Amino acid sequence: MQVREEKFGLLFYDYRGPRLYFVPTKNLIGNDFFDGSHTAEGLIESIRTRHRQSRQSSQQWVLQVLTMLEQKGLVHG
Amino acid sequence: MGNQYVEMGLSAPVNVTWEVTYACNLSCIHCLSDAGVKRRGELTTDQCIRIIDTLAAMKVFQFNIGGGEPFMRPDFLDLMDHAHEKGMVTCISTNGTFIDDDVAGRLNNPLVYIQVSLEGATPASNDAIRGRGSFQKVIAALGCLQKRNIEVSINTVLTRRNFNELDRMTELAARYGAKLRVSRFRPSGRGKASWSQLNVDKEQMLAFSDWLNRHLAVSTGDSFFSVSTEERRSLGLNMCGACKLTCCISPEGNVYPCAFLQDQEFLAGRLPGDDFADIWENSPVFHSFRRLEIKSCESCHRFDLCHGGCPAIAYHTQRKLGVPDPGCLANCVSVKPIVREVA
Repeated sequence: MQVREEKFGLLFYDYRGPRLYFVPTKNLIGNDFFDGSHTAEGLIESIRTRHRQSRQSSQQWVLQVLTMLEQKGLVHG
Repeated sequence: MGNQYVEMGLSAPVNVTWEVTYACNLSCIHCLSDAGVKRRGELTTDQCIRIIDTLAAMKVFQFNIGGGEPFMRPDFLDLMDHAHEKGMVTCISTNGTFIDDDVAGRLNNPLVYIQVSLEGATPASNDAIRGRGSFQKVIAALGCLQKRNIEVSINTVLTRRNFNELDRMTELAARYGAKLRVSRFRPSGRGKASWSQLNVDKEQMLAFSDWLNRHLAVSTGDSFFSVSTEERRSLGLNMCGACKLTCCISPEGNVYPCAFLQDQEFLAGRLPGDDFADIWENSPVFHSFRRLEIKSCESCHRFDLCHGGCPAIAYHTQRKLGVPDPGCLANCVSVKPIVREVA
C-alpha cells in the first residue's frame, strides 16, 4: 500500500488490486508527514501545531480519519 | 472510483506506461509499437535512471513497463532494481521468452508484477500471431515464475482468432497460478495493418461483454470500459485515464497521453530534458485531453459506465477526438477504419 498527498487529501494505492482509495482529509496532514515513519502520537502533535487546535480536537480528527480508513479497508483496528 | 477527485487534477500520474525499447525478438502481427529493432535515440541507462528518480520524487506509484520487449535492454533488470529501491511498483509486460530460472530469481520482489503475453490456448492459435515456438517458451516462463510464486497474469489481446479460446485460456492461466487479463486490440503500430483481419465484430464484442460478466476474476486493465456493465462497475476504471491518472513515455523519452496515441500531434514533451512535472501540469496536449468531452454520448444511459469509451480507438478509426468509441455497447457503431488495410 502506498499513499501520497493530493489537493483533496490522501490518495492510497493498493497495487495488488490495483485499486485507488480517495480519502478527503484536505490539508489536515502536512506533506512532511509522508517522509519516513511516524507514530500516531506524532501525527496528533503535528496536527495540533499545524492547525493551532487543542489536543482533544486533534485526537478527534485523527480518529475520524482512522475510521474512514477502516471503512475503506485500509487499516484494521 | 473517486471521479470528482480525479477531475480536481492529481499532482502526478498514478502510474506511467514506459515503453523502454523498440527492440523485440518477436514480430507479432498486431504489435501496437511496431517493434523489432532498437531505434536511434532510445534512452541511455543514465537517462533512464534520471527519469526513475524524477517520477519517484513525484510519488508516481507504478511503472507499467512495455516495449518492444523490455528484456532486450541489457540494463533492464538493473533499471527495475533502481525503481524498486525507490519504492516504485513495476508491472512488466513481456513476451516471456527471456524468463528462465535465473531471471525469475531476479524478479522475485514483492514490488514486481509480470504480464506474459499469449494470444491463444494452443501453439497453433498463439504462434500464428506471435511467431513459431513462442507458445512453448511462454509455458516454460510461466513454470519458472510459478516456482517462485511471482505474481503473474497472462495477457491476451482480444481478437476474432482467440475469441473462442477465452475459457481455455482462463484454465491455462489457473494451471500456472496466474490470472487472465484481456486487453483491447487497437489499430496502432502494426495493429493498423491487421485491424480488419483481427478485430472482433459487433456480435463478438457483445458476447465478450457477457463473458466478462460471468468471469469477474478476469481483469481487463483499462481496456474495456466501453463494454463495462453494472456487474463490473467496481472492478476498474469507468473512464479514460489518459492525462488524468496515467501517461506514456516512449523509448526515446517522448511523453504522450497514452501508449496508443503516439502521433506527433499528441507529443507533450521529451524526457529527460523537459521537466516532467511541468509537462504533467502545463502541457497544452494534456490540458486539452483533460477537457475532452464526447458530447454525443452524454445523453446515453450508459454514459456513467464508460464516458464515451476509448479516445484512442475513436481517433484511429475516425481521425478525430471527441467522437464515440466505435466498440460502444449501446450503439456498437459500425465505423470503417480509416487506417491502411492489409492487402
